[in-house]
Amino acid sequence: MDKPSHLSVIVDLSPTQWAFCAQSTAPPGLPLQTFLSQLLAFLNAHIACKDENTLAVFGAFPGQSVMLYSSTGEAMTSTTEATDPNTYRPFKTLDSTVMSSIAERFNSYDVTEEEEPIGLVGCLTKALCYINRTISVVSASAQGTEGATRSIDPRILVLSVSPDQSSTYIPIMNSIFSAQKLKVTIDVCKVFGADNVFLQQAAHLTGGAYVQIERTDALLQYMMMSFLPPPAIRQLISVPTQDRVDFRAACFCHKRIVEIGFVCSVCLSIFCQPVPVCSTCRTKFPIKTLQRLNASRPLATTPSTPGTPRPLTQKNGAALPRPG
Amino acid sequence: MPPAGRRIGDDFVDDSDSDVSITGLDEEPSRSKAKGKGKAIDRKKKDQGKGKAKDQAYAWEATYTRSWDTVQEDEAGRLEGAVQDLIARGRRRRLLAPAAAIRRTIIRHLVLVLDLSSAMMDRDMRPTRFDLMLQYAREFVTEWFDQNPLGQIGIVGMRGGLGERIGEMSGNPQDVLKAILERHKLLPNGEPSLQNAVEMARSSMSHLPTHSSREIVVIFGSLTTCDPGNIHDTLDECVKDRIRISIVALAAEMKVCRELCDKTGGQFGVAMNEGHFKDLLFELIPPPAQRAVARTGGGPAADLMIMGFPMRLPDTSPPSLCVCHSQMKSEGFLCPRCLAKVCDVPTDCDICGLMIVSSPHLARSYHHLFPVKPYSAVMTLDDTPEPSKRCHGCAVAFKEMPSTMLGASGEGMSFYGRYRCSECHNDFCTDCDVFVHDVVHCCPGCGK
Amino acid sequence: MVGPSIRIKPAGESSKASTVDGGETSHRLIGFLLSQPQSTMNRLYQKPSSCLSIFRLLQPLERQVVMNLLWLETPIPGATMAAWVTREGKRPYQEALSTLQSLHILPQQSTRPGPPQSVKHNLNPTFKASLRQAITGGGTSGSFGILAENDDKHPAPDIEALDAFALERWETILYYMVSSGTGQFPAKPSQGVLYLLQRSGLMATVHGATLQITSAGFQFLLHPPHEQLWELLLQYLQMAEERQMDLVEVLSFLLMLSTTELGKVGIHTIQFIAQVTQALPHAQSYSTENLSATQKAMLEDLRDYGLIRQRTATSRKFSPTRLATTLTSSSPPLPTSAGTGDGSHVQGFIVLETNYRLYAYTDNPLQIAVLNLFVTLKYRFPNLVVGQITRDSVKKALANGITADQIISYLITHAHPQMRKNKPLLPVTVQDQIRLWELERNRVKSQEGYLYTAFASHADYEWVLDYAKKLGVVLWENPSKRCFFGSVEGHMNIRGYIERRSAGNA
Repeated sequence: MDKPSHLSVIVDLSPTQWAFCAQSTAPPGLPLQTFLSQLLAFLNAHIACKDENTLAVFGAFPGQSVMLYSSTGEAMTSTTEATDPNTYRPFKTLDSTVMSSIAERFNSYDVTEEEEPIGLVGCLTKALCYINRTISVVSASAQGTEGATRSIDPRILVLSVSPDQSSTYIPIMNSIFSAQKLKVTIDVCKVFGADNVFLQQAAHLTGGAYVQIERTDALLQYMMMSFLPPPAIRQLISVPTQDRVDFRAACFCHKRIVEIGFVCSVCLSIFCQPVPVCSTCRTKFPIKTLQRLNASRPLATTPSTPGTPRPLTQKNGAALPRPG
Repeated sequence: MPPAGRRIGDDFVDDSDSDVSITGLDEEPSRSKAKGKGKAIDRKKKDQGKGKAKDQAYAWEATYTRSWDTVQEDEAGRLEGAVQDLIARGRRRRLLAPAAAIRRTIIRHLVLVLDLSSAMMDRDMRPTRFDLMLQYAREFVTEWFDQNPLGQIGIVGMRGGLGERIGEMSGNPQDVLKAILERHKLLPNGEPSLQNAVEMARSSMSHLPTHSSREIVVIFGSLTTCDPGNIHDTLDECVKDRIRISIVALAAEMKVCRELCDKTGGQFGVAMNEGHFKDLLFELIPPPAQRAVARTGGGPAADLMIMGFPMRLPDTSPPSLCVCHSQMKSEGFLCPRCLAKVCDVPTDCDICGLMIVSSPHLARSYHHLFPVKPYSAVMTLDDTPEPSKRCHGCAVAFKEMPSTMLGASGEGMSFYGRYRCSECHNDFCTDCDVFVHDVVHCCPGCGK
Repeated sequence: MVGPSIRIKPAGESSKASTVDGGETSHRLIGFLLSQPQSTMNRLYQKPSSCLSIFRLLQPLERQVVMNLLWLETPIPGATMAAWVTREGKRPYQEALSTLQSLHILPQQSTRPGPPQSVKHNLNPTFKASLRQAITGGGTSGSFGILAENDDKHPAPDIEALDAFALERWETILYYMVSSGTGQFPAKPSQGVLYLLQRSGLMATVHGATLQITSAGFQFLLHPPHEQLWELLLQYLQMAEERQMDLVEVLSFLLMLSTTELGKVGIHTIQFIAQVTQALPHAQSYSTENLSATQKAMLEDLRDYGLIRQRTATSRKFSPTRLATTLTSSSPPLPTSAGTGDGSHVQGFIVLETNYRLYAYTDNPLQIAVLNLFVTLKYRFPNLVVGQITRDSVKKALANGITADQIISYLITHAHPQMRKNKPLLPVTVQDQIRLWELERNRVKSQEGYLYTAFASHADYEWVLDYAKKLGVVLWENPSKRCFFGSVEGHMNIRGYIERRSAGNA
């Protein structure tokens, strides 16, 4: 039961969204600085729980995904020489490495450029690669010791502020399936902004927790209670799961998130409106079907914009739509 | 041909045993026929990869023939490095093999025909052909549903000269598994009847819509079939219904089996041993490339379907009646069009008739549509000004020095253990290369 | 040695079984702390490093409860906390709460009557402040050890040297113990260590002068290194009280040591130690400057155990070894104890066949000596020892007080990776036979008593036997020889009865 666990944290560091978040008033704003200090406390707590616990931190920057820290020393750029008798040294190394690599990225970031989409997918896949690698190393060295059970419980925690990018629908879904295969739990913490359809599905499908932060001042408490316990503890103390799971998908043609779509029977590509030819597999659809579908199409369904919550889940103000 | 003649020895490599040459030869034509024009480029690559294997009887042999020649000890006299290299090479080769066949049938219907004749009690495969078949059939069903979540499987048995319906067409893996769970209900006896079984499978698929694929997979251990009529008539019917028949034979090749497969566009193979049996069976799991349209021309094979993506209600929501069973339940899925509550997906909404699927159901098959391009092995670092020190995926450091040990050239191996994505030009290690292509289906560098 | 999974269990049938509840047993130190008064604990909790180390020794559920409460400013009603607990979790949760209360991490609930819902949970303020400080950093406690200035003249020893030092010290102790009865005289550990061994009952003086290993000592040898280490340290703690040392100072120094670092980065990862050591050959050394007098006195003792290393006895610097830095973790405290310098041996080195033949890939004298406790060793090669488990060898071990389960669990813990592919891990025949040999010892039970023979007539015999049977003291009888055996308790009565009878006859 007392197994070491691995935690890969993916931090969404979109400058624009964090600016929105800091200025937001409806839920009281949360400046990036405060967020990071709370995050570090959380990371330290994870390391504190068990000496063998491992940690990897990935930063999702606009158009980039970077490994900020890993407790196995993979992303060490500089070893800080500063000695502080008041701090447990692994904490110190963790804190300074994470902070300096974030600062480095932000300094090199050109403000005038238009912001590229956030590199969340890159982070997810990298985290999976990393877990795949670490687990295989460990299981090779400790194979068979515990029979079928693994010696390490891996988890991924996504701290998200950006809205859904419908263009990443397929990669995210692929990541979710590989996480399922690796038996990795994906937890999602939505720090700011509207519900994230794909991440909701990720948490649901991998049995993770999905938490939408309502009081930003209690962020740390949320994290401690929901994301710190490893899977074994979650059987004893439950963690909040989401209310409703939105199973919407994104269409291939306009990258819109749709609730009713038109699906090619050959390749299962999704379209938001009837099309004569499947753009993926070049299958021609019969004219009759097109006419039928066009006729039956409810007039009210104007294709919804990405990131817009369903009427059912209307909550905080919707984030800005981004043209696909 | 007696089954015993097919036994595999270690000394048969240069033996011109007729069986060997048959399997060696007939694999190629059947494959090229099955995969059509789109695979021409693909095949060339495969031939390159096999190169050396050509003059030998079995591909798997080439991998390990005289492996002691290639293995060298390192400075410390250990073999670890060399062995790891061999393994890596094997994985790499497997990776290079498949390539993009963009049009695949994804809503599949399959009838699995199991031979339950007394020939299955033979012990040439351990523990018996029958037990091995059951075991592989279970694994096959699980894996098949994993890759074809919208498909359906039915099970038919051949026993005592009759076809026997063991499991109805179902889209629920649990139902199918349950049907073949109990060994004692399936105990083999009597003669098999290929015709009866195929007819039964055909009739259970006759009602299906035109755009879905229909397949029959036969696991055949007997060398005889005991049919009431002319099996060639049945074959013609199957061709007309566009049913694809694939057969995995456990004993030897039979003319009628070969013909069933060739005429319907299926695959035929004779299992040489336990491992090969599994390989042959599992080759049938990935969705077949779609060729129906190209071949027949007439008849609407493809269709556009309207589907809705539901909202899942948690167990804590106030209970209400579901439209499918009229029971009070708190959890369920809401139809996006009429907001009726159904218990399970995928299903058709009982109120408005909309097909309700959750997006993960569809998305599971997308990696077939957009496969990650194979990474190219980095042969030299001279043309890269600043080679990255760490793998772009798992951030583990690359080897400093190229492995100088064996003649690792060819077969897509890199001296440096680096594999580069052609889109984003990032380098990956062997582990991540395999993991990205086999599992994630998404490149960490470019997100494609 | 891989994890906490394999523990010695009274009826450890397989490693699987012990995995299930192996993690549930709480750490030895916790047991010791439970018996400490509140004032001691409160003083201990003043140091962030102590709080962190104790926190790590808690059970997972207890840790989570602490973490849930750590960042709350106000007490939280018990009902709110309990609402998160699932049905299966109710009992473990209550146990966790009571352990925490006994450790004074949660204040003791006053036993005033009232519904349990009115209970409010809050952490002990001292503990809360210290643990918060440990996690967020800052403060001026300096409790994580002050690093010594880099000294060019005497650079800190590299990690390999430290490991070698720790290994040498630790194995000296064990090897001394194991060979104490054999007439060999290996290097003696220091006087302090000997005293400790004697105090803990692991060794005892026989025939006046020489120290001999006791049966507790034999059992001790088969424990995993972690437990051995803590067993000695706990003994040390108990002795500290007698030596008028301040228990809090001693404890907090030990706990501080457990948070110090061997290298500079991530020693808390088992699998990458090799890489780290390559990258950073120099270990950390700490300054002794702000240690208290008690703690300075401890340095010497700990040096003898191999927990720390000092260049000279008066050096103002010390370097903790792996023994010290892994005190609160379950990573292997000793580097490759097999000694052949091959990484694969951390796992285990013993191959046991169904024919009772045992192959041990080791050249380490200590391990060979330990094996020699219950194996008849036959051949010895540079890296391999071959032996046979025989009835005699096992009986010898049993006579030394080692139990069959201990032998089996030692074999399981140190099984070669190749063995781990087997299921069950050890050949069942051998396991069963070892247990049977143990049962064999218990075949004859001795009981004191009296044999009554030479009855004059069969009637006499019957009379007395009937009487004895009524009392229920007959252990054995043989009517044809007219004798029976009665237990000691019944003797007085039987004797009286016979006397009365013969008096009546006379």
